[in-house]
Amino acid sequence: MASIKSKALSAAPAKPKKRFRLFSVSQGFDMPFLIILMIILVVGLISQFSAGYAYSYYWNDGDSFYFIKRQLIFALLGVAAMLVISAVDYHILHRFAIPLMLVSYILLGIVLVLPSSTGIHRWIRLPGLQFQPSEIAKFALILLFAHLISLNHKKMKTFTAGYLPFMLILGITCGLVFIEPHLSGTILLLGIGIVMMYVGGTRLLYLLGTMGLGVAAVIYMIFVKGYEQDRINVWLDPMKAYAENPNEAWQTVQSLYAIGSGGVMGQGLGNSRQKHLFLPEPQNDFIFSVICEELGFVGAVLVIVLFALLLWRGITIGMKSPDKFGSMLAVGLTAQIGLQAFMNMAVVTNTIPNTGISLPFFSYGGTSLVMLLAQMGVVLSISRNTAGRRSPIESKGAGSRKRE
Amino acid sequence: MAKQKKDAINNTATTKAPTRQMWKRSIVALVILGICFSAVIGKLSVLQIVQADQWRERAVAQQMSDSIISPKRGTIYDTNMTVLAQSATVWTVIMSPKDIEDEETRVKIADELSAMLEVDRDTLYKKTLKTNSQYEVVKAKIEHPLAETLSTWIQDNGLTGVFRIIEDYKRYYPLNSLASEVLGFTGTDNNGLYGLEAYYEETLAGKPGRIVTAKNGWGDELSTKMKFEKTVDAEDGNSLVLTIDSVVQYYAEKYLEIAVKENGCTNRGACIIMDVNTGGLVAMATKGDFDPNDPMTVTDPDAAAAIALLSGDERSAALKKAREEQWVNKPISDYYEPGSVFKVFTSAMALEEDVVNENTSFFCNGAITIAGTRVGCHKSGGHGSENFVQAVSNSCNPAFAEIGQKLGRSLFWKYYQGFGFTERTGIDMLSESRVTSTLYHNEDQLNIMELSVSAFGQTFKVTPIQMITAMAAVANGGKLMQPYVVQQVLDADGNVVKNTEPTVKRQVISEETSERLCKILDVSVNSGSKNAYVAGYRMAGKTGTSDKTDQNNATGTKNVVASFSGFAPSDNPQYAILLLLDEPQVAVRFGGTISAPVAQKIMAETLPYLGVEPVYTDEEIAAMERTTPDVKGKEVAVAQSMLTNSELRYKVVGSGSTVVKQVPDKGETIPKNGMVVLYTDENELSKTTTVPNFSGMTLAQANVAAANANVNIQMIGLGLESGEAKASSQSIAEGTSVALGTVVKVNFIYQDSIA
Repeated sequence: MASIKSKALSAAPAKPKKRFRLFSVSQGFDMPFLIILMIILVVGLISQFSAGYAYSYYWNDGDSFYFIKRQLIFALLGVAAMLVISAVDYHILHRFAIPLMLVSYILLGIVLVLPSSTGIHRWIRLPGLQFQPSEIAKFALILLFAHLISLNHKKMKTFTAGYLPFMLILGITCGLVFIEPHLSGTILLLGIGIVMMYVGGTRLLYLLGTMGLGVAAVIYMIFVKGYEQDRINVWLDPMKAYAENPNEAWQTVQSLYAIGSGGVMGQGLGNSRQKHLFLPEPQNDFIFSVICEELGFVGAVLVIVLFALLLWRGITIGMKSPDKFGSMLAVGLTAQIGLQAFMNMAVVTNTIPNTGISLPFFSYGGTSLVMLLAQMGVVLSISRNTAGRRSPIESKGAGSRKRE
Repeated sequence: MAKQKKDAINNTATTKAPTRQMWKRSIVALVILGICFSAVIGKLSVLQIVQADQWRERAVAQQMSDSIISPKRGTIYDTNMTVLAQSATVWTVIMSPKDIEDEETRVKIADELSAMLEVDRDTLYKKTLKTNSQYEVVKAKIEHPLAETLSTWIQDNGLTGVFRIIEDYKRYYPLNSLASEVLGFTGTDNNGLYGLEAYYEETLAGKPGRIVTAKNGWGDELSTKMKFEKTVDAEDGNSLVLTIDSVVQYYAEKYLEIAVKENGCTNRGACIIMDVNTGGLVAMATKGDFDPNDPMTVTDPDAAAAIALLSGDERSAALKKAREEQWVNKPISDYYEPGSVFKVFTSAMALEEDVVNENTSFFCNGAITIAGTRVGCHKSGGHGSENFVQAVSNSCNPAFAEIGQKLGRSLFWKYYQGFGFTERTGIDMLSESRVTSTLYHNEDQLNIMELSVSAFGQTFKVTPIQMITAMAAVANGGKLMQPYVVQQVLDADGNVVKNTEPTVKRQVISEETSERLCKILDVSVNSGSKNAYVAGYRMAGKTGTSDKTDQNNATGTKNVVASFSGFAPSDNPQYAILLLLDEPQVAVRFGGTISAPVAQKIMAETLPYLGVEPVYTDEEIAAMERTTPDVKGKEVAVAQSMLTNSELRYKVVGSGSTVVKQVPDKGETIPKNGMVVLYTDENELSKTTTVPNFSGMTLAQANVAAANANVNIQMIGLGLESGEAKASSQSIAEGTSVALGTVVKVNFIYQDSIA
């Protein structure tokens, strides 16, 4: 007893020491995460300014600043929202888990019946605000999964509790998004869901089995049914596809032109030529191509490294969270950023077949940016509760003894 | 108790906290995402490092519009900076059918432009239908006023987005066919195809410049804020200054053309005039030639008529052949048998090697038997007894066969090579013919027969340029020069980039031999036929007539090449000439009768023009001119006697006692018996007379006409004493009012009886 007490006592003076750690202020949020995030946001805004400059000029009556002005305003709004949310106890979100999912299902339903000139039902446009219900569904899914995993974590290994409900929710959500149609959104939702189930404790066998079936289905669709042949052809040999059907391969080829002509050191900030109406929407899905062209391999890798650091920090926050709800929320939100960033960069570099997806914190889009930053506020909120906790892996011996 | 509670809280916290499995799995997830990111980095390194250049190349191709700026091709000048070939700005009209908005406009363009630019309406209309194209040439190389009209039309019709007028250059040859074989010509894209234009292509062409402009995905130029344009200026070509003098070239072409026509030469004629001391060509003429402004037109009327009768492939083949034939620069590309002209070189060898001297005697009975075969002399009765100088003058074949035999094969071969007959001269011109051993007998093949016959210039072939280069060596003290035609290369600003220094290939014979031979050849011209004689100039040379042994013409008699080669002045040789008439179709077709007179006429105009001072013999002077004495201020009677003493006539104007003015003034040259007008009264000074037209008059007629008109004539030209020369031009135009006694210079040309 005495020895335990003395240990507790001896631990006490160590506490103030932690206040002097540069990046982890007690009860404050995780500074490395915030700093990395702010760097990403600033780099994103600069890129946005450069990439959207020409496009804005051509489409907004010569106003090169149209995009950046709006993006800047939304970024400020988003940061404010983030800071406010970071001060709110995230446990309150338990209450919203199920209602938000229902709301997003309703919105996904509404969007399907809204008139659309292109036959694609993705956006709900209100005066002064437009958003994609799938964006809300993404957060709803993360929240609901985190909620369910934290409640059922002991039964996560079972089929009925740890697999079936998740698959049902995931299936309905993905299905609704898929028929919009919104392929990249669907894939992203699937990715987030699978990562959360995996980390949450669902048996690997079930997951691998499901993924195996999914892969088989995709292979069947593509190679037997012949779906998406054009997309695949462009992916396999963009220049050949470009020669045969310029429209189909246009996006990919223009992106490759931009990336390739950046070389190692790039053309210099602001000097992209491909943004002059060659790249489709250079301020949006193809902003990374412009970064590659202007800042070269070096700049592109730095951007990737920034995202990787954010992921590392996000997962760390999750694992240091005092409860599984916080862990799973952080993992889900981080996975969302990671998967979306990867998919965007993989698409524009033609590493994977083309599908429209934006680059978080970089691509133009006010609502989306505010929502992303608000979600990062949740991660920061989680990080406020991690102070003093050490990961079980970091403190293997001590931790296990403590639990005795 | 409190502690227990605390532990409980800790326990709950611990159990709520993420499990170790969650930790492990989240790290696995992180690692998988890291692998995904690495894959992107891997792909980026392929795109941006390994394949960067190829992607950049493709990107630039679509981003940049690249227009070529044509460089201005260099000018070709003659030695006096007279322009022989020049590029002038023209315009090419480009249409972008993609930007034509409607059918109405297409029809309008087809109708109006076809009329304006003189292009086929239907062809133009078809071009307007190529709506994918942005680059259709409507018409290339239109000239100034038309380009202006077109530009106005384009603006008036609001078609500035459809048409572009691009600056280009066109090659002009202001002197038309003059020196065409030397100059060659250029193709439609301004590249040299023949002659100097082709040989000096790199020098003349310059480097094209370019304007690279960034454009956007719509194909437009970027707005001024983002504009990117880079201009690499065109580097204009360098110019050539030739050794050729267009005046001399004109003389050569004028007489050569007449000779080729009058003698019906079926294989053209050639003439070269060379500065013997440098090897620089003063003139190089071929007739028939062509007009480099329009090289495709067949100039030979007979050939053109024959081609007109053909059709289809036959026609195009014949056309191609006729064109290629007229483009061949005969003086450097054709071979011919030199005939007796070669005796000059046999003589040179023999004198150099002391095989003969001026007094060596020969006997010609009209033939010589060589190895059992009888070889006849051109004079069937034979020349009888003759010394070496006479043998040269007589062009005696048996004598030269004997000289050849005395020399022997190895000496003959040594000098044959020495004079450059087995090698190209290396002149800076395109397509100088190869010299192969099939053209001549090499040392092993020079058996007694070949040696004897070669000694008088038969059974082997040379090129005209080889011949004149060798002749120049005989004249200039034995130095074989490398002939050249480009004296200087000038850059676009007129600075001399390169200046050609004469190149001596080797000393073939000694200066002494050269001098001796010059005298012998002088005799050959001046005591033999006067056909190459130029009054005031000691001309040396040799005529030659050679059978074309390798062909038969329709009548069975062999065609001949009639030539003359010589140089002047023989006591201080400066210019050599070779004149060659190939396949003349007249009855008398010896070099002496048809070629030498032409060479004589050319030299008679050329030598005074080139400033070679005439040195008249006493006879010539006596026969020709007087210098007016100074009689101004003298009493009339004194003046009269002074003039009479100078064999001049006089005319007194006015009634005064002293001469107040004399016309011509003192020291002027006028013909013997020319008239000096003596003014004795100031009031009579204004008296004038009208200059008559001397053209076509003989010397005697001109003198009468001059006397009647009270003017004096100063005769220039040659053969004045022969009485056959005729006036060709005069220094003061017919009808001009001049003071009495004014000296009119009249140019006379000796009209040999060519026909």
